Amino acid sequence: MEQEVYEVDKLNILDCDKLKFSQEESGYLTLEYEGITYHKVNPTRLIPFHSKNEYISVNYENEEKEFREVGVIRSLEDFKDEKQKKLLSDYLEYKYHMPEITKVYSIRDNMQGAIFVKADTTCGSKTICITDWYQNFRLRDGCYLYINDADGNKYYCPDVYKLGKKDIKILENYI
Amino acid sequence: MELCINKPEAAGEDVVYALPYNLSRENEMINGSFCVTREKILIYLDGNIIREYALDDFEEFECKQQAGSSMAQGRDKKGNIIFLCAFSQEYFLRYAELLKILDYYLRTGEFLTESDADEPFCPKCGHPLNGRKTCLFCTKKSSTILRLIKMLAPYKKEYAAAIICTIIAQLINIMIPYADRYIIDNYVTPKNEDWHSFALIVTVVISFILINALLDFINMKCSFKAALGLGKDIRQQVFEKSQALSMSASSKRTAGEMISRVSGDAAKVEEFFTANGKDFVVQVFSMVILCIIIFFIDVRLAVMTVLPLPIVYLIAKKLISRMEVAYTQQWKGSVKSSELLHDSLSGIRVVKSYGKEQYEIDRYKKATDEWRVNSTRAETGWYRTYPIAQFLISLGSYFVLYFGGNMVLGMEMTIGELVQFSTYVSMLYAPVEWLIRIPRTLADTTVSAGKVFEVLDEEAEVADSADAGEIDIKGDISFKNVYFGYKVYNPVLKDITFDIKQGEMIGVVGHSGAGKSTLINLVMRLYDCTQGKITIDGVNIKDITQKCLRSQIGVVLQETFLFDGNILDNISYAKPDATFEEIVKAAKIANAHDFITKLPDGYNTRVGNKGYQLSGGERQRIAIARAILHDPKIIILDEATSALDTQTEKQIQEALGRLIKGRTTIAIAHRLSTLSSADRLLVLDKGRLAEFGTHNELMKQKGVYYKLVMAQRQTTKMKAAVTAAE
Repeated sequence: MEQEVYEVDKLNILDCDKLKFSQEESGYLTLEYEGITYHKVNPTRLIPFHSKNEYISVNYENEEKEFREVGVIRSLEDFKDEKQKKLLSDYLEYKYHMPEITKVYSIRDNMQGAIFVKADTTCGSKTICITDWYQNFRLRDGCYLYINDADGNKYYCPDVYKLGKKDIKILENYI
Repeated sequence: MELCINKPEAAGEDVVYALPYNLSRENEMINGSFCVTREKILIYLDGNIIREYALDDFEEFECKQQAGSSMAQGRDKKGNIIFLCAFSQEYFLRYAELLKILDYYLRTGEFLTESDADEPFCPKCGHPLNGRKTCLFCTKKSSTILRLIKMLAPYKKEYAAAIICTIIAQLINIMIPYADRYIIDNYVTPKNEDWHSFALIVTVVISFILINALLDFINMKCSFKAALGLGKDIRQQVFEKSQALSMSASSKRTAGEMISRVSGDAAKVEEFFTANGKDFVVQVFSMVILCIIIFFIDVRLAVMTVLPLPIVYLIAKKLISRMEVAYTQQWKGSVKSSELLHDSLSGIRVVKSYGKEQYEIDRYKKATDEWRVNSTRAETGWYRTYPIAQFLISLGSYFVLYFGGNMVLGMEMTIGELVQFSTYVSMLYAPVEWLIRIPRTLADTTVSAGKVFEVLDEEAEVADSADAGEIDIKGDISFKNVYFGYKVYNPVLKDITFDIKQGEMIGVVGHSGAGKSTLINLVMRLYDCTQGKITIDGVNIKDITQKCLRSQIGVVLQETFLFDGNILDNISYAKPDATFEEIVKAAKIANAHDFITKLPDGYNTRVGNKGYQLSGGERQRIAIARAILHDPKIIILDEATSALDTQTEKQIQEALGRLIKGRTTIAIAHRLSTLSSADRLLVLDKGRLAEFGTHNELMKQKGVYYKLVMAQRQTTKMKAAVTAAE
């Protein structure tokens, strides 16, 4: 019986030219890499706030349901095959579904820890309910707005200072 | 919970459940419907069926939450995972509930046609209720202040006395300008010699001032009594709530944040009521009375006086909302600083051992700087607007002086009347100014009160049922089809069934993350299982009061927590009425007496913050002594000896051996050799009960336990080889 050898202490940077992803019925991806087929592969952003397209861990669960990592993709830009790049990028966008805030109309604070942000997002207009807002409505790195709403949906604005003046005025009291 | 909310027009009558889904696997927003009949799952897209599955082809359903989206999956009888649909998180709870119902159908064959779970969204506005009974969106801001006022009920007598005293004092104040006018018009005249009447009026004015001083004393005494009482009540309620909250609710907030709410926020509310509590009633009363008087004296001058007030009102209104946000920011800054302070001081050992003192100082400096900036912004915001409002108010008094002066010159008014009028105008502006100033304090107080109520309103997830009783525990423990997840729909423990007999020692083994600690948390009822039943002596633990249950369970954890105090206090924590001899006996059984005796202050030795003045083994022995004194019927040992060296471990093992004798014991240990005295071993694997039996039985099975033992033997051999080589 061939024994699986899994090197836990090695950061295996994957060669994007050899990666071949395909969609599978389970909702995950199948990967063929260096002659081995990996099923139910679950690509994961290692630094989702810093970079959406860099350092993507390609991992799966083995039959024993143990975590196994095929390796790490350094950057999606390393893919020469545009189809492969799109497939992986689409999967990541779907897994990390995070509408972008494009306009802020108002913020209502009920003074009980929750705020209600009326905004336009890339997925339509809505009033986002944020509980514990001082935890879930945060500015990272000075300009990246990260929102985690009461339902568990995540929203972001890559640079709040690129929104309109009115929007910034509404936001600046809360960030 | 409503689970039929998006039935497509084309769907037949047989559709029992229909939920929307809105995401494609390419992250496109789509309009789909996930429908379930008694036999099938039908997946619709834009009103048309695109896929269908027979329910009976599945073995299990799962609602998988990903980083930003969720998906419904099923495992068919061949073991294949089938993707059903994907959706954004607002639908997650409904899908999880529906899939739970479908799972129940697969397990039992019974198809439930409705869900008995609570509706997670407000029926009025559709926003998530988040476990609350009232909707945050529909609750008005004023409700916070109204709740605070209601909390004053026990002190209503004191408050009423304070208000009455202030109103009388205000009425007397109103009388004084009248006396002034009388003096000016009748006695400040050339060659006046009626000194007798003049002295009488002056005596009356002085009496007024003295009565006012007395009323002020009574007023302050009553106000302080009521406000301090309210502050104490709030602090106590928040602290009681923090103790009553379940572990999952408690872990949402850091200790620093809770401390800030118990002390800081309660103090702010208390301060507000001391300084301003009764003022609202009094100031509004004064304003109304003064307005009536000035209109009575002269309508034209009175109109000029109140002319700027609407503008001032609008400014005040705008200020309220601005100040609330500014003070919330200030609050955020203060909480962040106290969190950092608490964190850094609690972890001072780690900080020092990594030489990170400067890093921590810089972090704290940054946080306090941020706090300073937020505070400055709040205060400058206030002082930018307040003087403008103040100037607008004073405009009225200039009008009065100009036109009033003209009226005196035109003999339409006496000097005394003008002085009286001007005094009333300045008296009227005092409550108006107070009303402008109040947004600042009110905003600050509302923020703090809101934070306090946020904790008080938290629902206790683990609560005693109305008919929960007390039992004398013997020690039989049973798990029947128990499921549990820290997130309800992501089970950590799945379908756990086992029986433990009274007096048995059970070792719980498994890989990290297998659910061992979760299992003992359920026995202690720190969390409630999501499905299934846990019984002790045949009684569901939900029917036993938490106090009764925990008073009969003894726990020794890996990281022992000792409270600041001496050794005696820490051992007797479990039984405050224990005699000294009982305490010494417990310490002897725990192998702790010897080292305590060697300490210069014996049992009165202070253990320091968290017991850091003692070694790990010493702290552990005190914890065991505490457990022995507690005399529990069930003992839980969670990695009780894992952090100790071999020699110390031996001493602790001896002590534990004495502790568990004749008591039902559940012990977790990574080092399997420490479970050698276990009667049976319970092996958890990926949240499921993989094996349950004696060491010999499990070794013969050559399953998960066998592999664990073999892996540890290998490690031990390697260690021995390395040591020998050295």
